[in-house]
Amino acid sequence: MNTQLLPAVPAASSSGRPELSSTKRPARGWFARQYRRRMLRADLLTVIAWASVAAAVALWLADGGATNISSPAALFTAAGIVAGLAGMDLVLLMLLLAARIPFIDRTIGHDRALEFHGKLGKPSLYLLLAHGLLLVIGYGMAEGLDPVSESINLWVQVPDMWLAFVSMALFIAVVVTSLVAVRRRFPYEFWYVVHLLTYAAVATSIPHQFSVGGLFAAGTWQRWYWLAICIYTGSALVYFRILEPVLATARHQLTVARVESVAPGVVNIVMRGRKLDQLAGTGGRFFIWRFLAPGMWWHPHPFSLSAEPVFTGPDSQGTLRVTVRNLGNGSAQLLRLRKGTKVALEGPYGLLSTAARTTNKVVMIGAGIGITPLRALLETTPFAPGEATVLLRGHTEGELYLGSEILDLCQARGVRLFHLTGPRSRTKSPWLPEDAVRNGYSLTSYVPDVADADVYVCGPAAWAANVIADAGKAGAPEEQIHHERFNW
Amino acid sequence: MQRTSNPLVGAGKTILKARTFECMGTVIGLTMPVDFLTEGQPGLVELAAATAVVERLFHELDETFSLYRPDSEASRLARGELKLPQASARMRERYAEAHEWRLRTEGAFTPERPDGVLDLSGIIKGHAIGEAGTSLLALGRGDWCLNAGGDVLVSGSPHPGTAEPWKAGIVDSADRRTLITGYALGGNSPHTAIATSGSAERGEHIWRVGSSAEFIQVTVAAADIVTADVLATAIVAGGTRMLDRAAGGWDVAVLAIRADGSMLATPGFQPA
Amino acid sequence: MKLRGTVAAALASAGILLAGWQTGTQVNGISTVASSTTATGTTGATGSGSSGAGSSGAGSSGAAGSSGPTGSSSTSGSSGSSGTSGSSSSSGSGSSSGSGTYKGNTVQTRFGPVQVQITVANGKITDVTALQLTNTDGKSIQISNRAAPLLRSKVLAAQSANVQTVSGATITSNAYLTSLQAAIDAANL
Repeated sequence: MNTQLLPAVPAASSSGRPELSSTKRPARGWFARQYRRRMLRADLLTVIAWASVAAAVALWLADGGATNISSPAALFTAAGIVAGLAGMDLVLLMLLLAARIPFIDRTIGHDRALEFHGKLGKPSLYLLLAHGLLLVIGYGMAEGLDPVSESINLWVQVPDMWLAFVSMALFIAVVVTSLVAVRRRFPYEFWYVVHLLTYAAVATSIPHQFSVGGLFAAGTWQRWYWLAICIYTGSALVYFRILEPVLATARHQLTVARVESVAPGVVNIVMRGRKLDQLAGTGGRFFIWRFLAPGMWWHPHPFSLSAEPVFTGPDSQGTLRVTVRNLGNGSAQLLRLRKGTKVALEGPYGLLSTAARTTNKVVMIGAGIGITPLRALLETTPFAPGEATVLLRGHTEGELYLGSEILDLCQARGVRLFHLTGPRSRTKSPWLPEDAVRNGYSLTSYVPDVADADVYVCGPAAWAANVIADAGKAGAPEEQIHHERFNW
Repeated sequence: MQRTSNPLVGAGKTILKARTFECMGTVIGLTMPVDFLTEGQPGLVELAAATAVVERLFHELDETFSLYRPDSEASRLARGELKLPQASARMRERYAEAHEWRLRTEGAFTPERPDGVLDLSGIIKGHAIGEAGTSLLALGRGDWCLNAGGDVLVSGSPHPGTAEPWKAGIVDSADRRTLITGYALGGNSPHTAIATSGSAERGEHIWRVGSSAEFIQVTVAAADIVTADVLATAIVAGGTRMLDRAAGGWDVAVLAIRADGSMLATPGFQPA
Repeated sequence: MKLRGTVAAALASAGILLAGWQTGTQVNGISTVASSTTATGTTGATGSGSSGAGSSGAGSSGAAGSSGPTGSSSTSGSSGSSGTSGSSSSSGSGSSSGSGTYKGNTVQTRFGPVQVQITVANGKITDVTALQLTNTDGKSIQISNRAAPLLRSKVLAAQSANVQTVSGATITSNAYLTSLQAAIDAANL
C-alpha cells in the first residue's frame, strides 16, 4: 500500500526548546551538545531528588531536633521523626516520577522515570514503617507505656492519628501488591486499581503531618515548605495526568476514520482530527490512547504513531495513524473499531525520539510490531544521506510490517536497509537469523561504525536485550543505545 | 471563720435565696437569685417549687439506688435476691455507665467494692444533680446553684443578666471551717460543675488502688457533674498517675492535696 | 557523567544538612537550667556543658520518671513523666542556690515543642510551668493542663472571698450542721 508522504511540516515548538526544523543533518556537534544539555538536566534531577530528602531532614535539624536528644526515649522519637520525613519525601518523589512531567520525560524518559519510581517503593515503605514503630516506642517509653498501649493511646487520644494508621495500612497494601511476585497472580486491572489507593494513602497521611508534633505547626517556616512541596506535587499530578490529556483530547477532536488490515492480525487505525501540527515530529514517542466505545474506554493503549500526521485541510486537519497487532485481551477489540469512535489521547511520552540523539549517525533495529514506531522516527529524525542504517527483523517478509513504506523512505533519504528474515540463530547473536550468523555476519557487518551511532532498538523484550548486548560489545556506549522498556 | 458571701453586695436588685433538704445521707441545697422588687413573694414560692422538684428527683433515685435502704433495688441486688439482667433498665444503664468510667479511668474508679457489692453511689449522686439541673432548666430557671453534699452544679449567674460567674470555695482538708481557694463556675468558663472527693469527712469510703494513699482530697471542676465527681474519686484512688491522665484526657481543672498539706494544681486553680 | 551527578547530589545534600544543623544549634542557645537542686543546694550530677546534647541521666529526661527521693526534679515537671517524650534538660553550671526563673530547653512532645519554666527559690524548685509554644487545637489543652505544685498564699486564699457555695468532701447531715455551707445557706434562707 502506498501512503501519501507529504514533506515533514516543521514541528510547532510549543515549549520554546530548540527544535530541529528539517530532516537534514544539523550543524556539526549539535547532537553532542543536545546530549550534554540533557545530561546536565539529568544531573540536576539527581541533585534535586537527593537534596529534597536532605532538606526534609534538615527541616527537623533546623528546628533544633538533634540537640535535644538526651535519653533513649528521645532517641527513638528523633529517629522516628526523621524516618517519617525522609519516607514522605520519597513518597512525594515517587508521585512526581509518575506524574509524567515533561521535564523529567524528555530528560530520562518515561520508562526510566517509572523504573526509579518502582525502586523507591520499598525504601519508602520501610522508612514509613520505621517512622511508626520508632515513634510508638519513643512516645511509649516517655510515658511508661508499652508500644501496643501507646499505639492505642495515639489512635484514641490524638486527633488525625487514626487516619495515619489507615494510611499505613493502605501503603502496605499498595507496595505488597506491586511486588512482582504478587503482581503476577492478579490481572493488570486489579493491580492498577489497588495502586490507585496510593492517592488515598497519601491523602490520609497528610492531616497528621500538619497537626501532630510541633515541626509543622502553624507559624513555622517548615510548615510553608512542607505545604509547598505537597501542593506542588498534587498540582503536577492533576495538571499533567488529568488536565493536559483532557485539553489535548478536546484540542485534537480525534475520531476513528478507518481500520485497515496490514497483515494477518495487524491493522492500521487511522484517526481524523485537527491541529495535528502539534503532534508532528513525535515519531518514536508513544501516546496513550483510549477509544471511547462501550467496554473499551477504560482500557489504555500505549501506541506510537507509525507515521507522521498527514495534513489534508486548514487548521492543520488531517489524519494520524497507529499500527497495532492483536495481542489478545484488550487489543482484539481494536480490530473491530467502528468509524467515528471518539478517541482520547495522552502524551506524547517517551525518549525514543530525536531528543535522545547524541551523534550524527543513526541505526534503527526493529522486530515485529516494534518496527512501526521506528517507521515514524525514520520519517523525521535528522541525518545526512549515508549516515543511517535500518535493520528489520521478522520471521518472514510478511512480518516486516510497513516494509514497503520503509523501503520508500530509505530510498528517499539515502538509508541503508536490511531485511533480516528467517528462523532465529541458535548459537551466538540470537537476535539475528540463523542464516546470517552461519554466514559469519554480526552487527558490525551491517553497521561497521555502530560504535559512533545512536542505536534505536524496538521489539520484544528478550530479543531487544540481545541486540543491546551485541551493540555494547561492538563498542556502542550505553548513552547511545535507545530502547523503551514497556514492562509497566 | 471565713467570710462568706454577702448576698446584698454587688449591683442588682436580686438576692440569693436558698432552700435545703436531706437526702442520700447528706444535705442538698438549691440557691437561686430572687428578684424581690419585681417578684417578691412569688419568687420565694418559685424557689420552693423548684426545690420540691429537685427533692422528689433525689428521693426517687435514692429509693432505687441506696444501699442504706434495705428495700431498694440496689440492696436487693447486693443480697442476691435480684440478678442484674432482671434489674430495671435504669439500674442497668447506670451500671453500664459506671463500667464505662471504670474503663476510662483504667480501674481507678470502679463500682465494685472489694467485698463484691455493687456500689453505684459514686455515679448516682452526680447523676441526680445532673438530672435535677435539667429539670430546673426545663422549668425555665436559668440561674441557680445546686450543691449536693459538696458537689456543685450551676447555671447562669448569681446576678442574672451578667456574666458574673458563681464562685465555689474549696474546703481546706486540714480545717474544714477554712477555705483554701475558690473557683469560678459558669460565666465565661465551660466548667459549670465542681466536685470534691476525699477521706476527710465521711470516713474512708474510697477504696484505694495500690497502697499509696497519695491524695487526701481532690477537687475537680468540669463541664458536667458526673465527670467531675468520678474523676475526683478516681484521682483519690489512683494518685498522681490518674491525675495526669485526667488532666491530659479531659477538659478539667484539678486541685489535689496530699497528706502533708502540699498541693498540686492544674492551671485552672493556679492564681492568675 | 553519572559520577558528576552523584557527587553533586552528595555535596548538595551534605550542604543542606549542615545548614539545617547550624540553624538548629542556634535555636536552642538559651537556657541555663538548674537541672537538679537538692536541699543542700548543689547542682545536679550532670554538669555537661552546652545545650543538652548527651547530658547524663541524673535529674534529666522525662523518660526516667520524675522526682527521685533526693528531690531533684526533671524539667518535665515534678508531677510525673507522662506526656512528654524524652529530652529536656540542659545542665546548669554554677547557680547552686540561685533564685529566679529559668527557661529550660525545648522538649519534644507529641503535641509539639514545649518549653518549661522553672522557678527556684533558695535552691528549691518551687514551680514548674510549661510555656505554650504550639497552640494546635485541643492538644494545647492537654499539654498545658499539667498539674504543678501549688503553694498556699494570700493570693490563693483571696480567691475564696465572696463565694456562694462550698465544695468539700461529702459530709453527713450531722456534720453539715457545723459546716461552712450551712452558714452560707443560713444567710440565704
